[in-house]
Amino acid sequence: MRAAATVARAVRRPWLRWLLARLGAAVLVAWVVATVVFFALRAAGGDPTEAILGGPGSQAGPEAVAAARAQYGLDQPLVVQYLVQLWRVLTFDLGDSYARRVPVSELLAEQLPGTMLLAVLALALAWVLALAVATLAVRATGPFGRACAAALRGAEVVAAVLPHFWLGAVLIVVFSSTLGWFPATSSGTDPVGLVLPTVTLAVPVAGFLGQVMRDSLEEAAAAPFATSARARGASPVRVLWRHTLRHGVLPAVSLSGWAFGSLLSGAVVVETLFGRPGLGRLLLDATMQRDVPVVVGAVVLVALAYVVVMLLVDVAERLLDPRLRGAVAVPGAPGGSAPAARAGEPAVLG
Amino acid sequence: MPHALRPARARTGAAIAAVAALALAACSSGGDASDDAATPQDGGTLVYATGDAEPTCLDPHVGGNYPQALISTQYLEPLVGRDADGTILPWLATEWSVSDDQLTWDFTLVDDVTFTDGTPFGAEAVKANVEHLQDPDTGSSTGYLAVQKVESVEVVDATHARFHLTEPDAALLESMSQQWTAMQSPAGIARGQQDNCAAPVGTGPFIVQEWVPQQQVTLVRNDEYVPHDPQAEHDGPAHLDEIVWRFIPDAATRYAALRSGEVQVIDNPQPDAIAAADAGGDITHVDAPRPGSSNRIELNSAQPPFDDVRVREAFVRAADPEPGIETLFAGTATRSYSPLSSVEPTAYGDEELFGTDVDRAEELLDEAGWTATDDEGYRTKDGQRLTVRFPVSTNQSVAAEQSLFEQIQANAKAVGFEVVLTPTDLSAWYAALGANEYEAVSAPYTKVGPDVLRILYHSDGTVPAPSGYFANHAQVRDPELDDLLDRAAATTDDAERADLYEQAQRIVLEGYFILPLYDQQNHFLTRGVTGVRTLDTVATPTFVDARLGS
Repeated sequence: MRAAATVARAVRRPWLRWLLARLGAAVLVAWVVATVVFFALRAAGGDPTEAILGGPGSQAGPEAVAAARAQYGLDQPLVVQYLVQLWRVLTFDLGDSYARRVPVSELLAEQLPGTMLLAVLALALAWVLALAVATLAVRATGPFGRACAAALRGAEVVAAVLPHFWLGAVLIVVFSSTLGWFPATSSGTDPVGLVLPTVTLAVPVAGFLGQVMRDSLEEAAAAPFATSARARGASPVRVLWRHTLRHGVLPAVSLSGWAFGSLLSGAVVVETLFGRPGLGRLLLDATMQRDVPVVVGAVVLVALAYVVVMLLVDVAERLLDPRLRGAVAVPGAPGGSAPAARAGEPAVLG
Repeated sequence: MPHALRPARARTGAAIAAVAALALAACSSGGDASDDAATPQDGGTLVYATGDAEPTCLDPHVGGNYPQALISTQYLEPLVGRDADGTILPWLATEWSVSDDQLTWDFTLVDDVTFTDGTPFGAEAVKANVEHLQDPDTGSSTGYLAVQKVESVEVVDATHARFHLTEPDAALLESMSQQWTAMQSPAGIARGQQDNCAAPVGTGPFIVQEWVPQQQVTLVRNDEYVPHDPQAEHDGPAHLDEIVWRFIPDAATRYAALRSGEVQVIDNPQPDAIAAADAGGDITHVDAPRPGSSNRIELNSAQPPFDDVRVREAFVRAADPEPGIETLFAGTATRSYSPLSSVEPTAYGDEELFGTDVDRAEELLDEAGWTATDDEGYRTKDGQRLTVRFPVSTNQSVAAEQSLFEQIQANAKAVGFEVVLTPTDLSAWYAALGANEYEAVSAPYTKVGPDVLRILYHSDGTVPAPSGYFANHAQVRDPELDDLLDRAAATTDDAERADLYEQAQRIVLEGYFILPLYDQQNHFLTRGVTGVRTLDTVATPTFVDARLGS
């Protein structure tokens, strides 16, 4: 009774409720993702047993097929296989890869750092590019400046819709084959090799972030607090750094969580294109081979990484926006005020 | 070996990239010419970039596909070799003889070779290897089929092995020349599959040192190498210190890496890159068509509409692949009229049978009763549309081939065929074949020697393996053909064998079961290296004679 009361009291603490809600959401996401991936893969045709027996089109004899099915539980009804897979995910034992016959966790641990390095670098570069373009566009004055700003706006839209495989191929032809500045392939932490894959991943994301940043920077620049700052005689640079930038980046911070997710999915293409080892390529190969444990493990890992990043984004938003600091409770919960005013309504900030 | 994984290629990207390259090449001065061209030298590291899928196991006994054959050529050697004329040459076996009833084969083995773990090579090793291939736990597909008729291997003495067969097998030597039956150290095999997959132990010129998944396999020179490769040019260990075997799935990236000097050898180049190399410059082209079958479209004769030979001939007469082969492959692929690869001396082709004739196609379809036409312009019969389901494996069919199929689709439409092309990955593709959901399919098959005809066209090949796989996709069930193929497999008389195989190929061609297209394309581009050659067995490259420099 006492313990229950303690728990109940603790749960009343807003930050704990928030954390529990997030953890609950993470478990839910992992479950949904594992379920969808499991059944989608089995519905796509092809027999996972063949992954165990040397790949699709295997001509292995009846004994070998039966033995492999029994060893990996593939002779069980699909629902049982699903429950086993789910139990594995819940207990953090992801099982063995059908194709490679080593623990899935080992494969994931091998490939996660490389992909994370690439994604983090790309996100950082996207931020730098977006920030540079947005501040340039906002500060531009005069006919030439306005023309430049319009061109930058156009560039943002184009960048945002560039497919990775196309951009990467063009970068390879230009900077590797023709100019010879960077290698066409990449591996590990070799800084020179990382340049082209990072740029390929970063540019489309920078396009999105740049648009959002520019909009809110423009909005902030026109807001009363910015006008009053300028009236007090603050230089444009000071107005930007001290007053409007905070507004400008808030929506982009919110978007960064999404951006990170898109970077992880972009990694499938970019890693394959640049021959770079990583989670994306592992996932692609495993899908082709119907290596169910690897696919489920990799997708759940990526989903959880996404959840963690969203959590970090939440924290970052709160650090940047004082209005959100009291609002740690789950939206709608009594006592916690849902953040009514978000970025883009810079009435009280300045 | 029924399949070779190849990555899909980003067609559009490459095309636009090519335009961008032209534009840039126009502005830049001289481009990528580097000055590493020195006289050939000993030592150094050769980097090989493969576009074939990364093997899940480096031991080609397990499963048995082309990527495994490619890399294992560097560290495993077969019992026998083969020259371009199809003559079997001694390798780890110096001589052999067969009993009169053709059920006993005696092999004499070399006596001066040890595996790189110190285990001596000999009859015990041969026995262990055949047993490894036949063990269900190994999960061998290709090698398993190759030694299917071997009942047991008897160790006569250290250098004499005796194969006891359940029935005559004229293809035994060809089967034992393949990389999928190559010799491994028994002690290496005994370590268990996980260890052996990671680093198989052989007698070859290189040793597997390290495998970084998705990235590369590092192979170091075998300093104790005793060369018995019948076609090697020099005597002794390889010139190179090591080979780094990299996995780079994208063809454009591989080509860029070759041009920038990151790698010295690439496989599966795109046709435009091959044509550019043939036109001159510092890139050398090695053309090594795979043995076994040609690349051909097989027509499923087990169900309508292709159960009628007239409809099959109509499709073949209307398809007109010639112009597409010429343009899409940039002149790098030669039209085939045979079920067999042009490297097979027993290949028989008949150009007459495959001339394009649209009028004849229309006539044949009329005769076969496909006379009505629906509102979309397709022929119908009894309310059924003349539909050809054609699943395409994007792993096996390169971009040029997929475009060729689209042209054939358009050409066949002109006479009233509805060809439904469905691009899928390899797993779903095999599933579609296993479920008989196809009327046409392209499924090349690599095997040394004409015995591949037995696998592809004997009625036994219509019976699915437990995985659902069967090799006779045209579903030919012809007792006369079966008899010819059985007799060919049982005779060791070369002339008689060639005659039987010619008769068999005639039946396949005249029955319009297939539309031959070209050899299984197997090209390599090299730059900054000399002495690269391919084996005349499964057309894999060997680097025992290779030196860096040019």
